[in-house]
Amino acid sequence: MSVITLQNVSVDLPVFEMAERSLKKKIAGLGRSNRIARDNEGVVVVRALDDLSFSLQEGDRVGLIGQNGAGKSTLLRVIAGIYPPTSGQIYTRGRIVPLLDISLGMDELSTGRQNIRLRGLLLGMSNAEIQRKMEDIAAFTELGDHLDLPLRTYSSGMRLRLAFAVSTSVDADILLLDEVIGVGDASFLKKAEERMLNLQSRAKIVVLASHSEEVIRQMCNKALWMNRGRIQAFGAVDFVTAQYSAERYVSTTPPP
Amino acid sequence: MFSTAIQDLSASLNAWRLWSLLGWLEIRQRYARSRLGPFWLTISMGVIIGSIGVVYGTLFNQNIADYLPMMGIGLVFWVLLTSIINESCVAYINSAGYIRQTSTPKLLFMLQVGWRNFMIFVHNFVIVILLLIIFGTPNWSIFPIFFPGLVLFILNALWIGQVLGIISARFRDLPQITAAVLQMAFYVTPILFPPSMLNEHRWIVEYNPFAYLLELVRGPLTGHAPSVLTWGVTGAMAILGWLLALALTERYLKRIPYWV
Repeated sequence: MSVITLQNVSVDLPVFEMAERSLKKKIAGLGRSNRIARDNEGVVVVRALDDLSFSLQEGDRVGLIGQNGAGKSTLLRVIAGIYPPTSGQIYTRGRIVPLLDISLGMDELSTGRQNIRLRGLLLGMSNAEIQRKMEDIAAFTELGDHLDLPLRTYSSGMRLRLAFAVSTSVDADILLLDEVIGVGDASFLKKAEERMLNLQSRAKIVVLASHSEEVIRQMCNKALWMNRGRIQAFGAVDFVTAQYSAERYVSTTPPP
Repeated sequence: MFSTAIQDLSASLNAWRLWSLLGWLEIRQRYARSRLGPFWLTISMGVIIGSIGVVYGTLFNQNIADYLPMMGIGLVFWVLLTSIINESCVAYINSAGYIRQTSTPKLLFMLQVGWRNFMIFVHNFVIVILLLIIFGTPNWSIFPIFFPGLVLFILNALWIGQVLGIISARFRDLPQITAAVLQMAFYVTPILFPPSMLNEHRWIVEYNPFAYLLELVRGPLTGHAPSVLTWGVTGAMAILGWLLALALTERYLKRIPYWV
């Protein structure tokens, strides 16, 4: 049984570059509810997540929606265990794989195959697992002999294929995605989409952050709408996305 | 006690394939397509040792057959120690990309620094072997002591690195301070001069922890076993140091992703 449970989770991100805020801004900020504050060391902090509580069960396909800076990526990082919550509790069970940056750690001077190994290790695969999947990954990339050449000779499309192939070969109980991974090439697109769906169907819980409501309606059965670090709505995907677009429609329409 | 820190340490040790690969890739990136690769370091270190040997050997009126192995071996180990410490300061800072995108254990970045510098040390060790061949073989009966000495030496380097690495992630002045302190330490540690030359100022060596660390590995190679005091000091440093490192790790491990 894979589960994710958050209880009153808050995350404060420290901003060390901002040593002192100007007096003018302080006065301007008086009396306004503000997500920028100071912690007890005097460091400026931004409250990225504010008192989040929810629970996800097996079978949940959750789409995170919200504007830029609403806290979607931070929430994914909290679930992944990258950011331990500043306060509150998070409980997860199952193997969690975050696919936030699929090209992370690729080495220019290593060959395609060596990069498959490197990416695999970074994704937490064992050596045996990588060896078992090597041929499948190599075949999927369609890169053929190029796999034995160093990465620096690859075009950006080829790099993306390689990164995509390794990252999607992972076996996760809980899969975390920041935007759907796109693979430019049109002929490759169909194959990539199938592989992506296959990856998602292997996972027991999927959390996907995306700006595209269409993608979320297609891939998810639940949606979580975040606004300024808080949960605005959480529930069935059609219901929440409808609310979200209604709100956006209202806020972008000029008053008559 | 220290459950988070120990869990991270054991997970990091388990991921040895990853840190040894990452460490090796960095060496390769640095010496990409050069024929001699990391042996360039060996060559430049050899040249430095040769020239210091001639100049300071003469200045200090030393017998070159004693002075050159003493100074050369000392310098090779000093470089190992200080490069681990200096690079540990930025171990977490430079791995920010990994730390913020994946949830790997954290100490593996420290082990990566240790491994990379150990590999470079292995290249430099050629100089040590050459010095021993040219200026007479060591005392074979005490030579095996070198290996536990080396382990203790590296254990000490790693705890210093972990302590400084964590604090440096939060306070970015520390790497500069560390570099300055180590630079100063170089001149008060018996590398360029034999400890016996200090006469009434022997306390400079007696209260210098780096002198004990150096004696631990240089002694067995130059034919005299490290004293009980040397073992005691370096052993106590390793134990207390690792306790400190684990305590700091336990307390601040979770803050690292926020700091880098």
